Amino acid sequence: MASSSASRQDVFRTHVEPEIEVLLRVGQTLTGSWADGEDLVQETLIRAWTAIDRFDGAHPRAWLLTILRNAHLNSLRRQRPDLTDDTASFDRARPAFGATAPPGPEQTVIDRALDEDLERAVARLDEKFRTVLLLIDVDLLTYTEAAELLGIPVGTVMSRLSRARDRVRLQLRATGALPTTATTGRTGSLAQRKR
Amino acid sequence: MSVTSMWTCHWARRRIQRYLDADPAAPLTFEEVHRLEVHLATCDRCTALTDEYRGVRQALIGWSTRRYPHPAALARLRVAAEQIMSEDAG
Repeated sequence: MASSSASRQDVFRTHVEPEIEVLLRVGQTLTGSWADGEDLVQETLIRAWTAIDRFDGAHPRAWLLTILRNAHLNSLRRQRPDLTDDTASFDRARPAFGATAPPGPEQTVIDRALDEDLERAVARLDEKFRTVLLLIDVDLLTYTEAAELLGIPVGTVMSRLSRARDRVRLQLRATGALPTTATTGRTGSLAQRKR
Repeated sequence: MSVTSMWTCHWARRRIQRYLDADPAAPLTFEEVHRLEVHLATCDRCTALTDEYRGVRQALIGWSTRRYPHPAALARLRVAAEQIMSEDAG
């Protein structure tokens, strides 16, 4: 697509640089740490620049997530040569918190209580379910983006996501964050706490 | 609960998450949305389940809104992107 140095830079600035934050979030989810996520994104940027001439300008995020996935898999293979192509089989994805926007004092208390319940519930999930849940509901990827990133079918993403949410939902209900019965039609305390 | 309404609940529960997500890869048809919404208007159990799913999703999305990459990390990566381009041009 891009031939001259200037136009390659234009394409890179237009399509790649705006996705850096998303790439870093996803990198953190996959690696389990912001520092490793940053290294992974840096590797992704280098690979993206090298391949920029072959980028057709459509769906830059999907293109970059594929590059990030391959870079991640290469990194994992260096550590574990027996690894499959499903990055969700790797067990380092963890909910983690970096710099946060400053909430008000009341919201801080509510969020902390909720986060403790939620983080425990998410941490109890099997890695492959937790990774999909974090990618879709926290990193806000689409089903297709998550499927491409993990190298699994969209149907598998949906199935894992559904099971992950169900387990988190039941865990939160057991801890009292959700109603103990689903017969009242009332909104649970979790939703009320989030208002 | 009749067999018919049990079956309708089963049908609805298999679609609630897709209804809430509205992901372009797995959209419900107009007819499915209509049928689901009609069912939710009359079924307390499925409505409560929908509220629970919605609450879980909102809580997780809440993480997303509060979990920012460190600004310094983003700045380093933007500098790295510029360096990658300039080294190649040079």
